[in-house]
Amino acid sequence: MKKTILLLVVTTTTMLSFAQKKKITTSATINFDAITTLDALPKADNKTVVASINTKNGEVAFESIIKSFSFTNPTIQDHFNGAKWMDSEKFPKATFKGKITNLVDVNFKVDGSYNAIVTGNLTIHGVTKPITTNAIIVVKEKAVTTTAEFSIKLADYNVDGAAIAAGKVAKEPKITVTAFFK
Amino acid sequence: MVVLIAIGAIAAWFIFTEKYANTITKNADFIVNDIGFIKEFAQNDSVANKKYAEKIITVNGIVSEIEPVDSIVNIKMIDTITDAFINFTFQEASVVEAKLLKKGDTVSIKGSCSGGAYSEILETIFITFKRCALNK
Repeated sequence: MKKTILLLVVTTTTMLSFAQKKKITTSATINFDAITTLDALPKADNKTVVASINTKNGEVAFESIIKSFSFTNPTIQDHFNGAKWMDSEKFPKATFKGKITNLVDVNFKVDGSYNAIVTGNLTIHGVTKPITTNAIIVVKEKAVTTTAEFSIKLADYNVDGAAIAAGKVAKEPKITVTAFFK
Repeated sequence: MVVLIAIGAIAAWFIFTEKYANTITKNADFIVNDIGFIKEFAQNDSVANKKYAEKIITVNGIVSEIEPVDSIVNIKMIDTITDAFINFTFQEASVVEAKLLKKGDTVSIKGSCSGGAYSEILETIFITFKRCALNK
């Protein structure tokens, strides 16, 4: 009986220890910036992104509901979600799954700012493509803030349309992903 | 011809300078309670998304969590049995009021429902709202 209880305690402690390595937030932010000299409106943010980081093995992920992107202009938001652009009825989510490839350079136990390289698969509009980007990881009093800024080619994700061809929407919008993990 | 061009220019000006109205001034398409609303998405998110996505909805419920985002906060209502949740982000005009909320407060939040989806990270349903305001 004592052995069984001991085993249970050890197993539970081990599981908790592993669980604590994965940090999750449901309020990460993605800024989408596709403005051009012809149009300053295709710019949006989404502040309800689910994101995770595993400080032990470097796995990172995020997922976002496409309709959560908030534009200031209703017409642009309709276009963004429409069949000719993101087609959010058919492809309701964007996801990323990847890994910090230089985990050895990031010390999650010591306060500081670290340059990380993240590689993984980004799925948008039903198309999955590998991407690699630089990220900044700031560790402060056990809290972790990550920021990654990168551009994607809309054509790679089969996103096209008249506004993009006409230069009113950037062909390679800038994406900034920020997450704060307690 | 000149008149047509002028009408077109005015229409374009209205479209491109248009902004979302303050959510508090909008009528809600639906009034729901937090747990019942979450359960609808958990039972069939396709049906729930068709019914609620991009609609103005008032959700009555209890503040389960407050999450910081940049300089603002998101408010969450959580079904503690399934861990499924609603996450509300607020319009600029309502940020100060949202910051005053505390865990356990009973609230009525009106906003634009962005829909819900299954989270592979959390292994549960999450539903998000944008441009929210507090009903008084």
